[in-house]
Amino acid sequence: MVSPRTWRNLRRELRGSALAKIGIVLVLAIILVAVFAPFLAPYDPYQQDLGNSQVPPLGFSTTENETRSEMVNGSIEVVEEEVTVNATLAHPLGTDALGRDMLSRTIYGARTSLLVGVFGTMLAVLIGVTVGLTAGYYGGRVDDGLMRMSDIMLAFPSLVLAIALIGLFGGVTIRIPDPFVVLGLAPEMPPNIVLPGTVVLVVALVNWVWFARVARGEALSLRNEEYVKAARALGASDGSIVARHILPNSITPILVLATIQVAAIILLESSLSYLGFSGANLSWGLDIAQGRDYLASAWWIASIPGVAIVFAVIGVNLVGDWLRDALDPGIEGEGGV
Amino acid sequence: MTDDRQSRVSRRRYLQLAGGAAATAALAGCSNDSGELNTETPAEGANDSAGGGGGGNDTDSSDDQNNQESGEFAVTITQGQMDSGLDPHDHRETTTDIIVMQMYEGALDRDREGQVIEGLAENYEQAEPNRVRLTIREGVTFHNGDELTPQDVAFSINRIVNPDVGNLASPQSDQLAGITEAQVVDGERAVDVISDGVNPMAIGLLASYGDVMQQSWVESNDNSYINSNANGTGPFQLSNYVQDERVEYTKYEEYWREPAAVDALTITSASESSTRVNQLVSGETDIIVNVPPQEVSRINSNESTRVEAVPSTRIIYNGMRYDVEPFSNLQFRRAMNYAVDINTIVSEVLSDFADATGQPTLEGFTGYNPNIDPYPYDVEQAEQLVEESGFAGATIELHTPVGRYLKDLEIAQAVVGYINELSNVEASVNQRDFGALAGELTTGNIEDMPHWYLIGWGNETFDASQTLIPLLTTDGALSSWSNDQFDQLVSQAGQTANADERESLFQEANQLAHDQAPWIFLNRQYSVYGASSRIEWQARRDESIKAYEIMQP
Amino acid sequence: MSFARFIIKRSLQGIFVVWGVVTVVFLLRFSTPGDPITFIAPLDASPELRQRIAEELGLNQPLYVQYFDYLTGLLTGDMGYSYISGTEAATRIFARVPATVELAVAATVVAIVISIPLGVISATRRHEPADYAATTFSLAGISTPNFWLGIMLVLVFAVQLNFLPTSRRPVGIVQAVEVLVLSGNYAGIVLWLQHITLPAITLGTYFTALVTRLTRSGMLDELGKSYVDAARAKGLPETLVRYKHALRNTLIPVITVLGLQLGTLIGGAVITEAVFAWPGLGTLVINSINTRDWPLIQGCLIVIGSSFVFVNIAVDALYAYVNPQVVYD
Repeated sequence: MVSPRTWRNLRRELRGSALAKIGIVLVLAIILVAVFAPFLAPYDPYQQDLGNSQVPPLGFSTTENETRSEMVNGSIEVVEEEVTVNATLAHPLGTDALGRDMLSRTIYGARTSLLVGVFGTMLAVLIGVTVGLTAGYYGGRVDDGLMRMSDIMLAFPSLVLAIALIGLFGGVTIRIPDPFVVLGLAPEMPPNIVLPGTVVLVVALVNWVWFARVARGEALSLRNEEYVKAARALGASDGSIVARHILPNSITPILVLATIQVAAIILLESSLSYLGFSGANLSWGLDIAQGRDYLASAWWIASIPGVAIVFAVIGVNLVGDWLRDALDPGIEGEGGV
Repeated sequence: MTDDRQSRVSRRRYLQLAGGAAATAALAGCSNDSGELNTETPAEGANDSAGGGGGGNDTDSSDDQNNQESGEFAVTITQGQMDSGLDPHDHRETTTDIIVMQMYEGALDRDREGQVIEGLAENYEQAEPNRVRLTIREGVTFHNGDELTPQDVAFSINRIVNPDVGNLASPQSDQLAGITEAQVVDGERAVDVISDGVNPMAIGLLASYGDVMQQSWVESNDNSYINSNANGTGPFQLSNYVQDERVEYTKYEEYWREPAAVDALTITSASESSTRVNQLVSGETDIIVNVPPQEVSRINSNESTRVEAVPSTRIIYNGMRYDVEPFSNLQFRRAMNYAVDINTIVSEVLSDFADATGQPTLEGFTGYNPNIDPYPYDVEQAEQLVEESGFAGATIELHTPVGRYLKDLEIAQAVVGYINELSNVEASVNQRDFGALAGELTTGNIEDMPHWYLIGWGNETFDASQTLIPLLTTDGALSSWSNDQFDQLVSQAGQTANADERESLFQEANQLAHDQAPWIFLNRQYSVYGASSRIEWQARRDESIKAYEIMQP
Repeated sequence: MSFARFIIKRSLQGIFVVWGVVTVVFLLRFSTPGDPITFIAPLDASPELRQRIAEELGLNQPLYVQYFDYLTGLLTGDMGYSYISGTEAATRIFARVPATVELAVAATVVAIVISIPLGVISATRRHEPADYAATTFSLAGISTPNFWLGIMLVLVFAVQLNFLPTSRRPVGIVQAVEVLVLSGNYAGIVLWLQHITLPAITLGTYFTALVTRLTRSGMLDELGKSYVDAARAKGLPETLVRYKHALRNTLIPVITVLGLQLGTLIGGAVITEAVFAWPGLGTLVINSINTRDWPLIQGCLIVIGSSFVFVNIAVDALYAYVNPQVVYD
C-alpha cells in the first residue's frame, strides 16, 4: 500500500524540513506522555489537598491578600491577611483551586485529548470512507443522495452540531481500566481511564463528511479505469473491487486528511470540554474553564493546559504539513474550531 | 496553614460590613507587631484594579450609566444572569425575581432581617386558622396611573394558585402552599386569603411571594406582552427592556411611600464572576452579586469598592435518592456524611464565607434544632459503614450545576475528592446546566431525578416548613426521600396552632433527618456582594436586592 | 451555461439543502430522550395541565401533521413560541443576529487587513526573518484554541492591564453610528470599539493565520509562473507585478477557502461569544440547548444552517464573477 517511492518522498521532505522534525518530536512526546502518564505524573490527578490550593508554578512565588470571613457579634467581618505563597518543587506547575497538581492534570489531560482525537478520527474515517466509496463507486442516484446528505451536514458548523447532539443526548463516559494500574505498576494512580464516549461519537458524526468527499472523489476517478472494468467483467463482486482496487488507492489522501483532522478534533474536544459539554472529568479544556474564575488570583490554572493544547495541535499540524507536502494528495479539509 | 505558605500576617483588616458605609474604616493588627492601628487599606499586593485613580473609569466612562454632573443618581446592578421574562408570576429564579421586584410588590413584605412588615396591605390578621384578612392600602397607583383595588390583589393571588385564572399556570403555586383562593370582602377594602386547612404559614408566605398585578392590564394583554412590559405599583417603572441584556428603570414619582433615592436604575448581567469584579472595580457597575472568595481581596484593596456579606437563607446540600442503590442504604448515606470534611471545605474552599450544617433547617429559623452538630470527619467510620452497607466498591456520580451557587463546582469536586479517599467507593462529578438539572429535579417524579445531586435551596420565610416540606416529605416538590415518621412529624407540625409545639415537632423532624441522612449536609451559603462606595446599601439575608433601599452617601 | 443559469441552479440546490436542514432539525426533536413537556410545563403541573399544553403545542398530532405545521409556520416567519422565555422564538433569535454578524464581520476584517499584507511580505521575502515570523505566527494561529486565546487576552488586557473591558456588548454598531450621526457624540463608537476589540481578535486569529498561509503559498506559486517573468521582462514595475497580477490570481482560491471555512467562523463565533458573554446567536444556542428550549434550538440551527448555505452561494457567485474562466458545472 505504501510504495517505496512514497517512502523516499517522505524521507526527502523530512530531511529538508526542520518544521517536520519538530512536529514528529512533539507528536511522539505527546504520545509517550499519554501512554505512560501513570509513571510520569507525580500525583493522582484527582487527588485534592484543600489546604494547598492555588500554589503558583516554580518561579512565580507571590504575595497576596487572603480574605476570610469571620462572624463577630452576629455580623460578618472580612479579615484580610497578607500571605506569601511559595512555589514548591513538589508542584512544579503549581496547583489548582482544590490543591490538585497541575503537572499531573496536564499529563493526564493528554490522554483524553489523544484518545478522543484518535478514536474520533478513526470512526469518522470509517463512516466517511464507507459513504464516500459507496457514492463514488455506484454514482448516479446513490451518489446524488449521499452527497446532498453531506451538503446538509456541512451546513451545520461542527461545533454547533456537536453541542446540540451532546446537549440533547447527554454525555456518556466509558471507563477503561488503566493497564498499568491493573498490573500493579502504578498503584497510586486512578484505576480507570475515562473516555468521553459521546464526544468520540459526535466528533466523528460531525467530521465524516470530509472523508466522504475525498473517498468519493477517488472512487469516481477510479471506477472507470481499465483494470476496474476488467475485474468487473471477470465477475468480481462490488465489495471486493472496492476493497482490492479502489480503497488501496485512496489511502494516501485519507491518511493526510486524517492527520489534519486529529488536530481539528483535539481542538473541538477542548472546546466542548470548555463549554461543559463533554462529560469528561479530566481534560485540558475543562481545566481552562475552571481556571477562568481564578484569572486574577491564579492565572496558571487557565494558562498551562492551553499551552499543552497548543503544543499538541502544532505537533499534529506540522506532521500533517509534512505528509501533505511529501504525498501531495491535493485536498482541503476543515481546520480548527 | 501549610508548609508551602509562610503565613506572614502583617496586617489584619477588619471591615465592619454590617456597618456598610463605614467600610473604609479599617483596623489593622497582627501577630508579630500587634497593637498597631492603621486606617489605610493595604496598598501592596495584587492591586490589579485600575491602577489608582479611584477605580479608573477609563474603560467605560461613557457606559450606559449616569454621569454625576447632571445630578441624577443612577445605579447599575450586575447579576449572574438575566430574567426569563418580566411576568412576576411566571418564573422561579432569584435572578428574575430581583429584576421584577423593583416594579412589583406583594401585599406584605419583609424587612432586611426577615421580619414581616406591611406592604400593599396596611393591615393583616390571621382571622381564622385557614383565613388571613388583608386590608388594602388606599391611594396606591399602578405605573399606568390606575388605582390599586382589592380586586387586583385577590386576582393576583388567584392567578398564582389557580391555573385557570389570568391565562397562566404559575410555577409559583407551591410558594403559596396551602392557599387555595383569595376573595374580596364585600363592602370593605379587604381581601380574605383562604387556605385548605390550618395554615400558620400563610402570612409568612404572603410576605415573601405573591406580587400584585393589575387585573385589567393582565386580562387585556397577551403573555408575550406581559413578559416584556411591566405595570406594577413598585418604586421603579420600566423604561427600557432589552431581553437578555439589560433592564432599565426610572424612579416612580407617585410611589405610595417616599419616592426612591435612585433616579435611574439598570440591571444587567455577567455570568463570570471575574468579569463582574472587573466591572465593579472599573466603575462600570455599582453592585455585583456572588463574589467568590478569591476575588474579595481585589474588591477590598480598591478604594472605591467594598464587599458586603451576609449569611443567606440558602442551604447547599447533596441529595441522595432513597429508592436506588446504594443510596437506599442508611449506613451508606451516613458513611457519605462521615467521609466529607465539611469544615475544611468551608474554611479552604469557601474561605469561611459559609457555615457548616448538620440539619436541613438553618440556624435562626423557626424549627432549627440547636442540639445537632455537623457530622464529624471520620474516614475509618465511613469506610466501615460502607463495608457494613454491603455496597463496597460502589461507583457513584454527583450531578452539580456550575456557577449557580458560590463555588458550587468546587464544592462538588471537593466532596467527590473526599469520597474518593475512601478505599471502597469511587465517585465522579457530572457538570450540569442548572436549568436542565432543575428540570429533572422538579418534574414531580422521583424517577427523573439524578441519583445524587448538589443543589441549593433558598427559604426566604425563615421557617423550617418551607425547607422540610418541599425537600424532604414524600410528596415534596423536590424531594428524593420518603420516611413515614418524618412525614408524620411535619404534617403534625402543620396542623398545630401552638407555636411551641410546632417548633419542637420541627426540631424532632430535623433530628430525624440528621440521623437518617437523606442528604450529605453541606453548607449555608453567604451572600457576598461587591458594592461601590458611590452608594449606601446593605446586603439582605433573603438574597433580594431592593434598589429602593439604596441611598446616596 | 450562463452566469445567470449558474446562479439559479446553485440557489435551487441551496433551497433543497435548507429544506434538508429544516427536516433534520425537526426530526432531532423527536429522536431526543425526554418528554419536551417536562421542560415546558410548570414544575408542579398536573397531568391535565400537561395534556392541555401538549394539545396547544400540537404535540399529540401525528408526526407528519406537526411537520407540515412547522414548515408552513417557518414560511410565514413563525418559529414557534418559547414557553421557557415567554416570547416568540423568531423575535428572540433575530434580536440576536446583529451581534453575531457584527462580530463575524469584525473578525473577517481583522483577518483580511492583517493577513494579506503579511502573506505577501512573507512570500516576497522568503527565508528572511519577516517570513519566519509570519510562518510561525500562522502556525501558532491555526493551532490555538480560540477560547483559550480569548481568556489569555482577557488575562493580559483586562485583568492585568485593565485596558479593555472583559466582556459584554453595551452598544451595537448601528446604535453607535446612529448616535454619532444624530448628535455628533462619538463616545458610543469608542465604547463599541473597546468592547469588540478582544472578541474580534479572538475570533479573527485563526482566519488571519489561515489566510496568511494561503496567501503566502499562493503568491509563491504565482511568482514562479512564466507570466510574471514575462511581465518583468517587459519592464513593468515590480510592485505592479506583485500586487496587480500575482496577488489578484492568489486571491481567487483564497475566497473559495474562506467560503468553505464559514462553518468554522460560525462555530468559532459560538465559543467566542461564550467567552466574552457576547449576546449573539452562539450564546443563545448554548442557553437554549441547556434549557431544552425547543423552538429556540430549532430556530437557531435553521438560521445558522441557512445562512451558511446562502453565504456559500454568494461566495460561489463572487468566485464565478472574479474568475471568468470558471466552469459552470
